[in-house]
Amino acid sequence: MTLIQISTFVALSLLARVFGSRLPRRWTLLTISVLAVFWLQPASPIRNLDFWLPLLTISIAAAAWAVTLPAGTRPARRDGIAGFFVLGLALAVALTRYIPALCCLTPSRPPETLPLLLGMGIFFGVVWLVGRGFARQPWTLHARVLAVIFLFIILKSEPLAQLTAAGLRGLMGQDPTLAQPTDLRWLGFSYLAFRLLHTLRDRLSGRLPALYLDEFLTYAVFFPSLTAGPIDRVERFQKDLQTEFQLDAIRFLEAGERLAQGLFMKFVLGDALALFALNPANAAQVSTTGWAWLLLYAYALRLFFDFAGYTHMAIGLGLLFGIRLPENFNRPYLQPNLTAFWNGWHMTLTNWLRAYVFNPFTRALRARKWSIAPIILLGQLLTMLLVGLWHGITLNFAIWGLWHGLGLFTHNRWADFAKGRLNVSPQLAAISGALLTFHFVALGWVWFALPDPGLAGRVLRLLAGGAP
Amino acid sequence: MTQEIQNKLSAFITGEILKQPDRKLGPEEALISGGLIDSFSLVDLALFVEETFGVKVDDTELNAQTFDNLNQLAALIQSRQ
Repeated sequence: MTLIQISTFVALSLLARVFGSRLPRRWTLLTISVLAVFWLQPASPIRNLDFWLPLLTISIAAAAWAVTLPAGTRPARRDGIAGFFVLGLALAVALTRYIPALCCLTPSRPPETLPLLLGMGIFFGVVWLVGRGFARQPWTLHARVLAVIFLFIILKSEPLAQLTAAGLRGLMGQDPTLAQPTDLRWLGFSYLAFRLLHTLRDRLSGRLPALYLDEFLTYAVFFPSLTAGPIDRVERFQKDLQTEFQLDAIRFLEAGERLAQGLFMKFVLGDALALFALNPANAAQVSTTGWAWLLLYAYALRLFFDFAGYTHMAIGLGLLFGIRLPENFNRPYLQPNLTAFWNGWHMTLTNWLRAYVFNPFTRALRARKWSIAPIILLGQLLTMLLVGLWHGITLNFAIWGLWHGLGLFTHNRWADFAKGRLNVSPQLAAISGALLTFHFVALGWVWFALPDPGLAGRVLRLLAGGAP
Repeated sequence: MTQEIQNKLSAFITGEILKQPDRKLGPEEALISGGLIDSFSLVDLALFVEETFGVKVDDTELNAQTFDNLNQLAALIQSRQ
């Protein structure tokens, strides 16, 4: 989000405060969230894609809601109203094409009338069919899980993204040979996918609460957390949504404090550190160990301030509308060991993977009476590999994930061995542990920051005091 | 009843997870957020609860938000029995 976008959301919250008594909050949040999906979407060189991708975001979320309806139930009247309301909003965004003064909420002009009606008909027709129960069989839930994972793999894998971009260019009458993987910049899909997988999985285990369409859509595309999380849980989000809310002075001050913290961390500290943080260009040029460490320290701090700053802003914006999003960071670089680091870094992602990957995996092997060490090794490697690949299906992210998986396993075994055997002062253990953990994490960032493993190897040699 | 559940939980946690059978666990002592139980041991604790008390603890519930001390875990078990 840019400063202008953040300021607009704050202004909207104040407007909602003024008109709050006349306009129910749930409709305000749904309206702003749906419009924000279009507004925040970056431009794409593929014609009209910056309109179709947001529409697809909303359609996928609506279809996920439809398949998670309890068996035997039909959508309520309120769901029908929400469906037509969202359809109307999408149509209004598209029709700004014909109103020069308002054009456009999307980065480029929305599609013309005929392809627009055809496209919207297909998108919403599918959602309607699923909602009517024609396709709502138990297998559709599994199919949806696979579909979301499949889309995720296409977007996160460069060759597949490029192939898809070429196909879409061909469809739009553009030159397929100019396709780039970055053509498919689908705003917020990484986070949306995890929210949808959570609801689909909880529906399968019978733990998903009953949700109206407007509640589900607002949860899935809630504008403060659309672009960079945190990944909330739907039952928690729904509670906030159903609670009476009035933006009072205390809440406003708390939100303001979080926003100010976030703005300072991201736009002042993060952006200043970005000037000399490790990147592929300076990694190829740096030639001394001291400078290599400086670039790496700057990168480690920049990543934290940028991401944690974003989270502060998301939480601050959420508070302005009565939604308390979960915390995502808890002083990660000051933690005494790697396990504690991952309990304080991007917590909502690690909690998600723990709930849906690590725990079921561990439980399955434990029930088969496997011994502890191999279960922990495989569980940590699998979970952290997925954390890595979530950022992109490339070799460097896989190495980064495995680096942390091995680190977590090592720490776990060490902690088990050291229980009751070591007698050092707690302060000394905490300080030395924090220093060691920070440097282990920082060295891992080398793989994360540099897509070329050869270049990462060069920097690691330099950091170790060797020749470049 | 609650005390009996807490005693069984406490004996399992100190004996099997912490490997310190003589250690005393307070009913409000933070188990997860306090770093006493790691994510792997949480799964073992869930399996123990399911076998001993016959109640299901879902994988998504193994976190400090659902229970973080003996009181809360005992209450969760009782509510499902």
